Amino acid sequence: METKTARTQAITGNGAMAEAMRQINPDVVAAFPITPSTQIIEDFATFVANGQVDTELITVESEHSAMSACISGATAGGRTMTATSSNGLALMWEMLYIAASMRQPILMSVVNRAISAPINIHTDHGDSMGARDAGWIQIYAENNQEAYDNLIMAPVIAEHMDVRLPVMVCQDGFIISHSVETMRLEDDQKVRAFIGEFSSLHPLLDTDKPVTWGALDLHDYYIEHKRGQQVAIHKAKSVIEAVSERFHQEFGRKYELFESYRLEDADRIIVAINSIAGEIKEVVDELRDQGEKVGLLKIRLFRPFPYEEIAAALKDAKIITVLDRSTSMGACGPLFGEINNALLNATHRPLLYNRIFGLGGRVMLLDDVKKIFAESKHYLDRGQVEKQFDFVKVRGD
Amino acid sequence: MTDKYKPKTWQELAPGGVITEGGNAHDYETGTWRTWRPIWHSENCIHCLRCWVLCPEDAYALQEGQTKAGKARREINGINYYHCKGCGLCVKECPINKKGEKTAIEFVREQT
Repeated sequence: METKTARTQAITGNGAMAEAMRQINPDVVAAFPITPSTQIIEDFATFVANGQVDTELITVESEHSAMSACISGATAGGRTMTATSSNGLALMWEMLYIAASMRQPILMSVVNRAISAPINIHTDHGDSMGARDAGWIQIYAENNQEAYDNLIMAPVIAEHMDVRLPVMVCQDGFIISHSVETMRLEDDQKVRAFIGEFSSLHPLLDTDKPVTWGALDLHDYYIEHKRGQQVAIHKAKSVIEAVSERFHQEFGRKYELFESYRLEDADRIIVAINSIAGEIKEVVDELRDQGEKVGLLKIRLFRPFPYEEIAAALKDAKIITVLDRSTSMGACGPLFGEINNALLNATHRPLLYNRIFGLGGRVMLLDDVKKIFAESKHYLDRGQVEKQFDFVKVRGD
Repeated sequence: MTDKYKPKTWQELAPGGVITEGGNAHDYETGTWRTWRPIWHSENCIHCLRCWVLCPEDAYALQEGQTKAGKARREINGINYYHCKGCGLCVKECPINKKGEKTAIEFVREQT
């Protein structure tokens, strides 16, 4: 099998994910392609056809079947991957829980896209946020480099014996998935050495040691199984730190549980997820040049949520704007809820409020981010927040 | 209750609920499901073993015995209430019960 050396290349976010999958060379990929993640599977199918991977590619009739086939592939004893978006992820809903509860280290690229209705193909985080309680580790990426790096780290995290949980790596649809950016693709052999061989636990294909997966569990045992699962996903936090550090040593790019961008001495902080962080960093730099103490906390790990670490990073903030690119109908945004929880025991509780933006791909420009920072300045000067929860850049306000 | 039958803590469970041994239903108590209790009367039993064949929980115990003529056979030796969930199949299908003159398996309400 031919191997490729490290190179700097102009490539889309989807193309980068397919490259990572080629390097991981999973035993099984089950897929039902959906916009905007389609190119991941298209590229990967080419790798299969060209003999560049050893993967069994299973084309199924729905995303529910795709995740079912992934669970079967994983319990049979193989390293298993897929990719999806939006309603596809929603159709997997039942099987997402089963994958996590059966502790199968399945890997999935999620290209974030708004969920119907109205039908929409552009980005927001309603799909993966809806899956946040399913028991999957969720890692978010600002750009194609981060998405690729996170997917390279994903099998090492998922397959760690203290964890054994599925991982979804999320990036923004179109803004990242279809935009060509120059990034670093690492050496095939170095990546494969970093990831290591897959070791299965109680595989169904080991017929000398027959096992049962997915047996009945009633009131007398279900809660004990859930208790153990909760501990496993909490343990993932330190595993992710260790794997990220090893990645840093090996490939030179440093990742923490979240990114602190000019947070030291920042009075006004935005907390956000994914590609919007690019615009926010630009505006933070500009405002810093004008002497304003502003900063960004960019979420990388959303499940498990690093409450203590984020609380420590935000402890000196005076006002925090939490930007959610999804909305929980009848409640605050999902990220806002977590930040509020993180600050529960804060000694100096900052002013804290929630803004919903960018649903269905509504574009946010630098001026829109500047308006958000201007609002937080206004609130900080007055010493109080007027609107706790609001949509931004929506007609009619 | 022996240690074998003691419910496990969450730390003792296999990740993902995988079951790595066959026949472990033997260790699982279904006796708590029972609202009616079959009571076996040995003096009326003809040891046809129909109850043993039909019991879904394998709750009927057997022992080696012999007929009045001295021929070796297997005989019923009572009910394991750890597994009996009180479905009543044995009570309904017992040929002695069906004849109606005597009762080999009685069915009584569980005392709570």
